[in-house]
Amino acid sequence: MSWLVVARKDFEDAIRSRWLIGLTVVFILLVSGVSYLARQTASANAVLQLSGSLFVGTLVPLIALVVAYNAVTGERESGSLKLLLSLPHSRADVVFGKVVGRAAALSTAITVGFVLPAVILALGPFTLEIGTYIIYTALVALLASVFVGIAVGWSAAAPSQRTALGGAIGLYFLFVPFWNGIQFRLRTAIASLPDWVPLSAETVGNALYLSNPASAFQGLTTALLGGQFLSGESAGLQVSALSMLLFWLLAAPLVGLLVFQRRDL
Amino acid sequence: MSAIQLSNVTKRYGDLTAVRNLDLTVESGEIYGFLGPNGAGKSTTINMLLDFVRPTEGTITVLGEPVGDSSVDIRERTGVLPEGFDVYSRLTGRKHIEFAIESKEADNDPDAILDRVGLADAGDRAAGEYSKGMRQRLVLGMALVGDPELLILDEPSTGLDPGGAKEMRDIVQQEADRGATVFFSSHVLGQVEAVCDRVGILHKGELVTEDSIEGLREETGSEETLILTVDDATDDDLDPIRRLDGVSGAAVDGPTVTVSCESGVKNEVIATLSEAGIEIEDIETESTSLEELFLSYTDGEGVVEKDGRSTGSGGGGDGTGSQPPEATPEGRQ
Repeated sequence: MSWLVVARKDFEDAIRSRWLIGLTVVFILLVSGVSYLARQTASANAVLQLSGSLFVGTLVPLIALVVAYNAVTGERESGSLKLLLSLPHSRADVVFGKVVGRAAALSTAITVGFVLPAVILALGPFTLEIGTYIIYTALVALLASVFVGIAVGWSAAAPSQRTALGGAIGLYFLFVPFWNGIQFRLRTAIASLPDWVPLSAETVGNALYLSNPASAFQGLTTALLGGQFLSGESAGLQVSALSMLLFWLLAAPLVGLLVFQRRDL
Repeated sequence: MSAIQLSNVTKRYGDLTAVRNLDLTVESGEIYGFLGPNGAGKSTTINMLLDFVRPTEGTITVLGEPVGDSSVDIRERTGVLPEGFDVYSRLTGRKHIEFAIESKEADNDPDAILDRVGLADAGDRAAGEYSKGMRQRLVLGMALVGDPELLILDEPSTGLDPGGAKEMRDIVQQEADRGATVFFSSHVLGQVEAVCDRVGILHKGELVTEDSIEGLREETGSEETLILTVDDATDDDLDPIRRLDGVSGAAVDGPTVTVSCESGVKNEVIATLSEAGIEIEDIETESTSLEELFLSYTDGEGVVEKDGRSTGSGGGGDGTGSQPPEATPEGRQ
């Protein structure tokens, strides 16, 4: 279980990162602040829905990219990758170990971070649905992990630290603001598809929506907070969204690995 | 079985050929010193052994297994001190050793390893606070984990003071006595002379010579160079010296007379010059050492780091790169 050894070391290293700690503190304060201010007037689920659309969906991918964009390139540039690969680890162990290690570090930070808002929300006057809250936290951790996977994959493929950073910024704008903007326009544009296209406009629209992990996350949490997690009318769509998140989590590092395998250090 | 075998290995980076048609065999159990100036291709060769970079042509086997497909298996049985590495600055020295132990599924005691490389007191400090020499020791410690069959050490003395370099050589010797094969590179011959069974000298990507230290010594013979500062001498004054047995050459340049001779005839040379009425003001001798032989193979590029600073203990270059290091002034009067 060589990747597990790499993951554990990477976890211990990443959890000490000032960036991770700092960004997590900012994140906790934001969610706690919204929870505190809104708890008198809105239910816990509404508070989560609000913070979700305000910053969870935008900030979590950003933190993940910041924490993981240099996972491989940073080590390659500094030379610590030579230390790692001098030991009996394969390059696949390194890439997947890093995805697991950093995703675990970030998930730990998120889980800890969601404790304070939970306490605030539990003060009332509205009741906190603890089950929903836990699933919500898990979905945030999953979103973070997916973006860690994308960042590590990109980091493994990038030829230099600068490319890795530029790419991470590009990926963020692609997945977070741009995709949502373009998807709305595309949806409008393809409202009526010509007859020869074997897909309905709705199918194409949904595919566009779901293939972006950030919007897949939004879809899932909206259903969850509406009391219809993996059930109700959109159950099929939600399963697709979940599958899409898992697909990204595996595919992005895999593609990065394929490039990394062929590269000279 | 040979521990390392490179057959006709070439590595090109674009137009640049870092290593050319290299054939090299390291036998199991020997200490092999891989010498050459910086930029000769030593690290490229070592990086190919470790599968960090892939050869353009040729085949490499380490511990009987082809590099590439079996590189993880190879690294399970190998301890490595790579060149240009960095430590994990947020993790302690002990964590590094523990990481190596877990990675190799070994059962070493981290504190015993730290003690062996002289870091017993620094194990709880973050490795980011370590000096260059301490980092070098730490990674040597990681390399020793699991009693590997083969040690590959790339410029292990970098950043170490003379005492540290000596400790490093002692560890190399202990590992060899245990039965390990040691392959290590250096740009300073003085560091490998004392411990190596065989050395290979790499220059501009090609192996220019390969021999035992004894073999190299025979090649250099026992010639010495006498450098005399005189009041006045002409080339003709040197003729009686040239006729002496054991003198292979003499030359004059201003007040400096240089005589190449066997060490036994030095006094005769000096006496002959005095008889010719030449006043000798100063005498220096240089033994034609292995170091100079090394330099003769490498166009005098032996001892200087890329940035112009000399490191390590044995060579003690002065940073100009053109003068022979370790000129041993003996007969200064």
